[in-house]
Amino acid sequence: MNASSDRLSRWTPVMFACALINLCLGLLLAVSGLAWPAASAGAPATLAMVHLLAIGWLTLMMFGALFQFAPVITGRRLRSQALALVTLIGVQAGLALMVGGFGALGRAAWADRLLPAGGTVVTAALLVGSATLLVPLIARRPVPLSARFVMVGLGFLLLTVVLGVTLALALTIPATVPLLAPLLAGGLSSHMLAGLGGWFTLTAIGVSYELLPMFMLAPHERGVVGIAILWSGGAGFLAAYAAGLASAVAAAGWIAAVGQAGELAILFAVALYLGDVVRLYRGRRRRQIELHNRAAIGAFVALGLAVLLAAGAAAAGRLAELAPSLLVLLLLGWLSGLGLTQLYKIVAFLAWLSRYGGRLGRGPVPRVQDLVNERGAAVLFVLYFAAVALAAGAAAFGLADAVRAALALALVAVLLLAREYARAWRATYAQRAAAAGPRSLVPSPLVRQGDR
Amino acid sequence: MTAPASPLTAGDVREALRDVIDPELGYNIVDLGLVYDIGIEDGLIDVRMTMTTPGCPAQDYIVTGVERRLADVAGVTGVFVTVVWSPAWSPRMMSPSAKAHFRIREDGE
Repeated sequence: MNASSDRLSRWTPVMFACALINLCLGLLLAVSGLAWPAASAGAPATLAMVHLLAIGWLTLMMFGALFQFAPVITGRRLRSQALALVTLIGVQAGLALMVGGFGALGRAAWADRLLPAGGTVVTAALLVGSATLLVPLIARRPVPLSARFVMVGLGFLLLTVVLGVTLALALTIPATVPLLAPLLAGGLSSHMLAGLGGWFTLTAIGVSYELLPMFMLAPHERGVVGIAILWSGGAGFLAAYAAGLASAVAAAGWIAAVGQAGELAILFAVALYLGDVVRLYRGRRRRQIELHNRAAIGAFVALGLAVLLAAGAAAAGRLAELAPSLLVLLLLGWLSGLGLTQLYKIVAFLAWLSRYGGRLGRGPVPRVQDLVNERGAAVLFVLYFAAVALAAGAAAFGLADAVRAALALALVAVLLLAREYARAWRATYAQRAAAAGPRSLVPSPLVRQGDR
Repeated sequence: MTAPASPLTAGDVREALRDVIDPELGYNIVDLGLVYDIGIEDGLIDVRMTMTTPGCPAQDYIVTGVERRLADVAGVTGVFVTVVWSPAWSPRMMSPSAKAHFRIREDGE
C-alpha cells in the first residue's frame, strides 16, 4: 500500500454498501406487514426491524464514516485497516444471529441462544471498532470538539450494547429472569435513549461539526455553544439513562426528578445545536452549496420537529401514544436523513480518491462534483423526506396502512439513491462526460481560470 | 526534461500548478490560495503549501500531484513539497476569480 492509499479507509465503502442493504431490509420488514406498523411494537419482527435499522444501517454507516474521518478530525492515521474489517464482519454476523434470534424467540431452547450470542458478537465487534477509533482520537492534543462528541458517543454506544445484551439474556435465558426481569420494564427506554441519543445523535452532531464547515467553507470554531451542547447533551442523556434503569428497581421521587432534569438538558442541547446549525449555514462563505448540504436541511427539520413533538407530547401526557411518530422522525428523518445526504458526498469523494487520486498532476481529471448528478438526486431526497413526513404524520394518527405506504415510498427513494451512490462509485457520470468530449475534463476553462 | 530557454520563475511554477486541483472544491490549488511560497534554486523547487483542512484525505494525492506536475516543467531538477498549517488556510486567501466562482465576497467573509 502506498502513502496515498493509506489515507483511504479501505473497508468504508463495503460498510456503506452493507449498511444500505440493512436499511432496505429493515424498511422491507415494515412495508411487508411482518413488523410495525402492522405488528405490535414488541413483536419479534418489529424488534428485528429496529435492530436492522439501528445496528445494521446506522451503526455500520457511522463506523464506516468514522474510520474515514477520524484521521481528518485528528490529523492522525488509523493504526490498522484490518480491525475495520473485523468490526464489519463481527457486526454483520452478530446482527444476522440477532435477527434470527428475534425470529426464533420462544420456539426452541437452542434458538433462544441466538439472540444473546448475536448481541455478544456485535458488542465484541463494536468494542474492537471503538478501540481502533479511540486511539487516534485520544492521542490528539488539544482534542477537537468533533472528536469529543465522537468519544462521548462511543461511550454511550458501550452503555447501549451492554444493556442490550443484558436485555437479550433476560428475554431468552430463564435462569436469568429472577435477576433481570425488572430490567425488561425500565431498561428498554434507557437502551433506546442511550442508542438514539447518546450514541447516534451526539456522534452525528460531532461529525456534522466537521463536515458542514468543511464543505460549506464556514468557520469551524463553535466556541462556548459547542461545549455547552456537549456537556448538556452528554449529562442529559446519562441522567435520563441512569434514571430509567434506577426506576426499574425502585420508585423514588428523586429518581423521577433526575430523569426529568436529564430530559430538559437534552431538549436544551438539541435546541442549542439546531440554533448553531442555523448560524453555521448563515455564516458559510460558500454561497452556493452542494446538494448534500441542501438536502441535510430536511434532517435538521426532522430533528426540530421531533423535539417539539416530544416536548408537546410529554406536556400533554401522550408520549407513549406518539412514540412511534417520534421514532420515525428520529430514526428515519434525523439520523437516516443526515446519513443518506452525507453519503451522497462521501461516496463520491472516496470514489474520486480511489479512481483519480493517483492521476492528479499527470493530466486532466474530473472533479468530485463531476461524479454525481445533483439535479436527479435532488428529486430523490425530496421524495425521501416527504415519505418520512407522511409516515410520521400517519403514525401519529395510528393509520397503519398509510404508514406502510409512506415507508414503501421511502424504500423506493433509498433504492434509487443507492443507485446514485453506485453510479458515483463507478464514476458513471464522469465517464459519460468524458466520452462526450475532452472539454468536460479538467483542467477546464473554469478550473484553470485564474489571475494571470 | 529539456533545457529552459530562460531562467525558471515562480510565475512559471504557479502557472504549472494551476493544472493541479483540490478535488473537493474542484478548483486549482493556486487560485484557492493553497500555495504559500515557492523557492527556486538551480532547478530545485521548494513549495510551501497547505490544505483546506488538516488531515484532508486528499493531501497525499495533491502533494504527489504537485511533484509530478512540476517534474514535467522544463529546467526542473528536483521538487520538495512541505505542507504547513500555519497560517491556517482561509477562503480570504483565494484569488478574486476563485472567490467569484464560489460566490464568496471579495473580503472573504
